[in-house]
Amino acid sequence: MSLPSATLLRLMAWLSPSFPVGAFSYSHGLEYAVESGLVRDLPTTVDWITTVLLHGSGRIDADLFVQAHGIACGLGAVDDDPAALDEISILADAWRGTPELALESSAQGNAFVLAVDAAWPDPFWSRWRSHLKADRRQPAYAVAVAVAAARADIPLPTALAAFLHAFAANLVSAAVRLIPLGQSDGQRAIAALEAVVLHATDAALVRPPEDRGGGLPMLDWCSISHETQYTRLFRS
Amino acid sequence: MFDAILPSENRPVSPPPLPRMTGRAELAFADGRLAHLYQQAPLRVLFPTPPTGEPVQAALVTTSGGLTGGDRLTLTASVRDGSRATVIASAAEKLYRSTGDDVDIDVALSVADGGWLEFLPQETILFDGARLRRLTRIDASGSAQVLAGEMLVFGRTARGERFTRGLARDEWRVQRDGRLVWADALHVDDPAVLSASAGFAGAVACATALLLTPEPLAWRDAVRELLASHGGRAGATVVNGLLLVRWLDSDAQRLRASFGQVWSLLRHGTGGGAARMPRLWDI
Repeated sequence: MSLPSATLLRLMAWLSPSFPVGAFSYSHGLEYAVESGLVRDLPTTVDWITTVLLHGSGRIDADLFVQAHGIACGLGAVDDDPAALDEISILADAWRGTPELALESSAQGNAFVLAVDAAWPDPFWSRWRSHLKADRRQPAYAVAVAVAAARADIPLPTALAAFLHAFAANLVSAAVRLIPLGQSDGQRAIAALEAVVLHATDAALVRPPEDRGGGLPMLDWCSISHETQYTRLFRS
Repeated sequence: MFDAILPSENRPVSPPPLPRMTGRAELAFADGRLAHLYQQAPLRVLFPTPPTGEPVQAALVTTSGGLTGGDRLTLTASVRDGSRATVIASAAEKLYRSTGDDVDIDVALSVADGGWLEFLPQETILFDGARLRRLTRIDASGSAQVLAGEMLVFGRTARGERFTRGLARDEWRVQRDGRLVWADALHVDDPAVLSASAGFAGAVACATALLLTPEPLAWRDAVRELLASHGGRAGATVVNGLLLVRWLDSDAQRLRASFGQVWSLLRHGTGGGAARMPRLWDI
């Protein structure tokens, strides 16, 4: 057996909860879902996150991720022009149902690019950032991670599964703090969501372009209601 | 075509493919009146005389009485100057069970600087097994205002029908001065989403109203006040300068009533028309 490559370690670092993107401050509407009693225990937590992964933001982000990874893989190492990413970057920036979900994506996307560039310097990042800034766009989190993974030669299925898993784990962590759930129940949720993450990854890899996207009215309603929630721990 | 809907003892083993219907309407408004019209059945446009002070009104009619898999409707409506115009569906749109093909509906709305357009479809009723792919594109320039909406009802709820299979895809692309400001695509192809608590939580109807206007925050707060007394789930927010109002309800009639209230407020406040719905809404 050979040792895993540095790229696997890099993927783990980028998607670890300690990577400075502030993931812990976003609940993706879950704070209101808990407040209103929709999510209250382990089964309702797993059910909620399963739906979000398969039909909501997990589906949208997976589709954006697949496209961005594909485009970024096509960029040369030297003459890489960030303009090739314009279409997907613009779509990802505009594809948010509510202002808090938009903030969650753009704030984490920005922080991700800065943190990656600081520790694994690559002139591409500043080029991409100024290119986006000229059009008043923010790097969406899913697109930023996909581009970083492609530039590190991390294959799409691995990178996408890791990204969706990190998203699911962050929601579980929010549920653990909000409901609250015990740490063991939190890990039970992570275990139960493994199959869902793999299924969501598989589905995204073969999804025809005309079926891309997704949407969950209840999630949007929770996210909109969260804007005026009286006591809030989370930014989304 | 009704073979597709009604069971028949004499239906041949492999029926010939049904003819596709391709309806089309092109509307353009300028100088406060209709400037261009093209129409092709089954999409027809009527022009009821609007009440005094109301903008010119175009009423869409699907003469086939409903749509089935393979049908395609294309609508373009543009306001070419500072004019105001109303485009309204004359009735709810029924989508029958499909044998496999999708109903494709393409709507493109464009409004020039200073113009105002209201696009008010009535409910789209998805029979069990219906397949819908709808794309609504909005292109607004400068200070153009656009009020647009959609309402989806899953199943013929009055008779207890549920949407247990099929496709409901409703996609939006909104541009302001050629810049994409909002994209969205509901894509329901798994009935589990309709019962899931993060999905529809058992609701049978959902709706969206969207308003492009220079001061969306003031309207958001006014709409929130209206929605506060509404019994169903609804919310208003502003994303990328766009006012979005969303409804979700287990009672399609209650949703419709709330939708009409909010719409009346917004059409009156931004377009200067009466603070009530166009008459066709209540027929």
